[in-house]
Amino acid sequence: MLARNAESLYWIGRYVERADDTARILDVSVHQLLEDATVDADTASRRLLSVLGITPPDGSELDVWGLTELVAMSPETGSIVSSIASARENTRVAREVVSSELWQCINAMWNAVPERQRAARRVGPHEFFTFVENRAAMFAGLADSTMSRDDGWRFLVLGRSVERVDMLVRLLMSRVGDRPTSPGWVTVLRSAGAHDTYLRTYRGALDASRVVQFLLLDRLFPRSVFHALQQAESCLEDLDHGPSARIGAGAEASRLLGKARSDLEFLQPAELLDNLTGRLQALQATVRDVGEAVSRQYFHAVPWIEWNNTEVNL
Amino acid sequence: MNWRLRVVHTTGYRYATAVTQSYNEARLTPRHDDRQNLMVARLETIPPARAYKYTDYWGTEVNSFDLHSPHTELKVIAASVVETSDQPPPSAEVTWVQLKSADVLDTYAEYLEWTTYVPKHRELSAVARSLRRGRSPQETVLAVSKWVHDTLKYQRGTTGVHSSAVDAWQAGEGVCQDYAHLTLAMLRAVGVPSRYVSGYLHTKPDAAVGETVVGESHAWVEAWTGEWWGFDPTNDISIGHRHVWVATGRDYADVSPLKGIYSGEAATAIEVTVDMTRLA
Amino acid sequence: MSRASSRQLFDGYLDPRRPHAGAYDEMFDPVDGVRTAYKRLHDSLQPLQPADLTTRSEALDRALVDQGITFSLSGEERPFPLDLVPRVITASEWSRLERGVVQRVRALEAFLADIYGEQQIVADGVLPRRLITSCEHFHRQAAGIAPPNGVRIHVAGIDVVRDEQGDFRVLEDNLRSPSGVSYVMENRRTMARVFPDLFAKHRVRAVGDYAVHLLRSLRAAAPGVTDPNVVVLTPGVYNSAYFEHSLLARQMGVELVEGRDLLARNNVIYLRTTEGEQRVDVIYRRIDDEFLDPVQFVPDSVLGVAGLVNAARAGNVVIANAIGNGVGDDKLIYTYLPEILKYYLGETPLLPNVDTYRCWLPAEHAEVLDRLDELVTKPVEGSGGYGIVFGPDASPKELQAQRRRIRANPRGWIAQPVVQLSTVPTKVGERLQPRHVDLRPFAVNDGEDVFVLPGGLTRVAIPEGSLIVNSSQGGGSKDTWVLAPRASGEDAELRGPGLGTPAVKPESTPEQGPELNAAQQQQQQ
Repeated sequence: MLARNAESLYWIGRYVERADDTARILDVSVHQLLEDATVDADTASRRLLSVLGITPPDGSELDVWGLTELVAMSPETGSIVSSIASARENTRVAREVVSSELWQCINAMWNAVPERQRAARRVGPHEFFTFVENRAAMFAGLADSTMSRDDGWRFLVLGRSVERVDMLVRLLMSRVGDRPTSPGWVTVLRSAGAHDTYLRTYRGALDASRVVQFLLLDRLFPRSVFHALQQAESCLEDLDHGPSARIGAGAEASRLLGKARSDLEFLQPAELLDNLTGRLQALQATVRDVGEAVSRQYFHAVPWIEWNNTEVNL
Repeated sequence: MNWRLRVVHTTGYRYATAVTQSYNEARLTPRHDDRQNLMVARLETIPPARAYKYTDYWGTEVNSFDLHSPHTELKVIAASVVETSDQPPPSAEVTWVQLKSADVLDTYAEYLEWTTYVPKHRELSAVARSLRRGRSPQETVLAVSKWVHDTLKYQRGTTGVHSSAVDAWQAGEGVCQDYAHLTLAMLRAVGVPSRYVSGYLHTKPDAAVGETVVGESHAWVEAWTGEWWGFDPTNDISIGHRHVWVATGRDYADVSPLKGIYSGEAATAIEVTVDMTRLA
Repeated sequence: MSRASSRQLFDGYLDPRRPHAGAYDEMFDPVDGVRTAYKRLHDSLQPLQPADLTTRSEALDRALVDQGITFSLSGEERPFPLDLVPRVITASEWSRLERGVVQRVRALEAFLADIYGEQQIVADGVLPRRLITSCEHFHRQAAGIAPPNGVRIHVAGIDVVRDEQGDFRVLEDNLRSPSGVSYVMENRRTMARVFPDLFAKHRVRAVGDYAVHLLRSLRAAAPGVTDPNVVVLTPGVYNSAYFEHSLLARQMGVELVEGRDLLARNNVIYLRTTEGEQRVDVIYRRIDDEFLDPVQFVPDSVLGVAGLVNAARAGNVVIANAIGNGVGDDKLIYTYLPEILKYYLGETPLLPNVDTYRCWLPAEHAEVLDRLDELVTKPVEGSGGYGIVFGPDASPKELQAQRRRIRANPRGWIAQPVVQLSTVPTKVGERLQPRHVDLRPFAVNDGEDVFVLPGGLTRVAIPEGSLIVNSSQGGGSKDTWVLAPRASGEDAELRGPGLGTPAVKPESTPEQGPELNAAQQQQQQ
């Protein structure tokens, strides 16, 4: 496939996941802010912004509405709306390699944004988050049922998995400072859509270390870091059509992912909380390096060639 | 007089930084006609490339080749052996009225039109008309050539690839390309179909067999006055056994000997050498 | 009731004071009322309330936007305006039109082959040589390039209009890269969603299989290759017709590429993919000649592929449509079409041209300048409606400027009487009003047959009285229905012999899960 299209699919995967995860994180945070009057809205909002990598505005105090505007509605980089727009633009330039259903799903989502924004401003932000989550789920379902399991699919899933690791790490980062018994940990679980599964797995016992364990290490839950890393790794393995390496990993991206995955895989659960921040930062760095490695390996899009003309005088 | 000549023409570019891709077309192969017989022609490039040959709209043989490995210099060597003879004086003769006939205007339309190199210019046209007075079309061709020869001063390096007839005339000097363009501009102004000829000139009339002289990449004109015939305004001589022709066209743009595109920084032409050896 | 609403929808439709009242209206005959072709359509529309129409029109727009059927206008994406009321062409009208289009394409193919080959038509004195050599799109670079299967016009768009008598006439030929066929297909799909009931009452010939014909023609263009690799070459995502390029690539299942994805080496074209280089055999290009190959044309073009023209000359790749086709759609050469048809096919035109004056010929030149205020003057090349001057609407100052332009370059202009394009009911606000339309049928030549897609793109001028239908000038489009002839096999276009015998009775009913019995439910309550 064309390197250009591969890159677009990878980024469609990333942007859709980013929009979805940002909506989830914001949804839960906003409701926590609304439900719990003891939380200082401005401090909590600023912490969330920094976790999401959005520069907080100077001066004015942030509340729920200000936060929603900034993270969801504004066209600034990092917001949900900008992720949707980027996903749509990438789909538009790669339309011949995605199915029509998939394109229409993204395009209709993009087209509906202004209307949903108006509705959200009227009835509250939850409406908007649900819209984004639903559309993302629809996208995942359509991708699952309409795309061939070829390289295109692998790039899409790779992008989604890489982004998932990144967003989960950001989500955990937003809570590392909390007390182990803080109700904030429930929020984390809800954001990741993991609350019910967690309760069933640990029979209701809510405990920060278990929450972190579950979101980082669980082998069965698809929104765990471990699971996402594994999925990304398997995509890269399938993408590598070259002769298999006998020593070490064939490519840098696979090596980085494999290392991160095995670090988690063979970790004593008890050791997990020692230097959690360091571990999360390392994961975040890995995600960045993987992105760069993948782009070096596969997305060497050919630049426009600037031609000069020559003519020889007599 | 009949001569057999070997022509070895070396040209090319030097690039400021290594160029990884370049596409080129060379128009360097002498042609066949009543006056000239091409015996052997070979084109070589350094770095080596496989050339694809075709004949273009103007009947010129083109060698096209592309390079895909880094190179800082491209050298093109065109070698050929031709037999040449003198051009007999034009026999057919048309009148000015015949030149204005719809048939002639239509058939030779391309050789009567203005181009970038041969633009319409009021003063030049007026001069051409004054030279025409009292002369037949054929005599006018000779008179215009003579006028151009006397007006311009031969000076290398004063004009570039892209100078037009008017530029050269205003500068009062130029090379053979400018002599040819200026002649064309004036002939077309009085309605004589005329075209640009590129080729080579052997510079030593009394050369011995086996002697190699430094030749010239050259240009002259052909006019249609009942038939096509050539004249060399640069030297004010008729076309003879020392002239080897390669291509004809409306102007230089149709026949440029080597042109191409490349990706990279500025290129400069390398020194052009034309070695001509009289073989017989 | 129905009479009342009909009066609303068609209220004042045939107002004699409307501009260009002499134009042919395709739905209403001024004497006999509704024409046969439109009878059923009229009867279906008549009972509709204006509000009903508006609802459907909104649904239509939403469907278009969600599918991303848009075009860019000065950098902004807009939904392609599709009018609710389809345009209907009867089977017999269509078969006449189709034969005329096929005839034209065949003659123009022969003409292009001759012009870029021996130029026999010039040698025989049928056309002046100067006519060809002075054409801006006569590309000498293409001389001597012989396409392997002889086809140069893989796709043609022949613009036709209906004159005051309702007869089809050709307005211009488009042989370079005619666009708009994606709208033909998407208009149909969208209309079928919004107006299912209308389709149920008509037998409309299908347009959905265009890509099949196009791919067949493109594959046939490389006859020596077992499984030719076809690509669509686009200038890029910011091109106004990108949507179409992408749609055609998708429907044909081939790669959509930009110039930078292709590479010429030793006169062979390769596609750069993640798995290395792949040879390309046929390029359906949607880039203008001038930008196609920086070696031969504009040297600083970044859209094209260096070395492409010589690769085609060497016979290693086929460029579709061929380079230099513009000489065949020059509007001055268009005026010589009767001569061209006679010379190559020995036939007279089945579709007449619109009467045209050639500013090029001294006699007609004077007449044009005399009657500039009543004629339409058009540049001989170019499309999109740019440069056209309507004499009756122009100010004396504009006319003077136009007169100067024509004097300076008589070869560059032709003039036509103000052609009264036919009208079709079009939704304007709450009512249906007559608006002028043209039609661009698309023809695909695979070297054996010329296939004409039944229908084509009907473009409609939205402002009242406007005769300019180009979308770049605020025009819209209509779904174009070619009716299948009565009792013919035509309606089976999409149906062939089946893959298997349809089952007479259901083979097996779908399985169901265990049933929760009622007793259980009751006890649980």
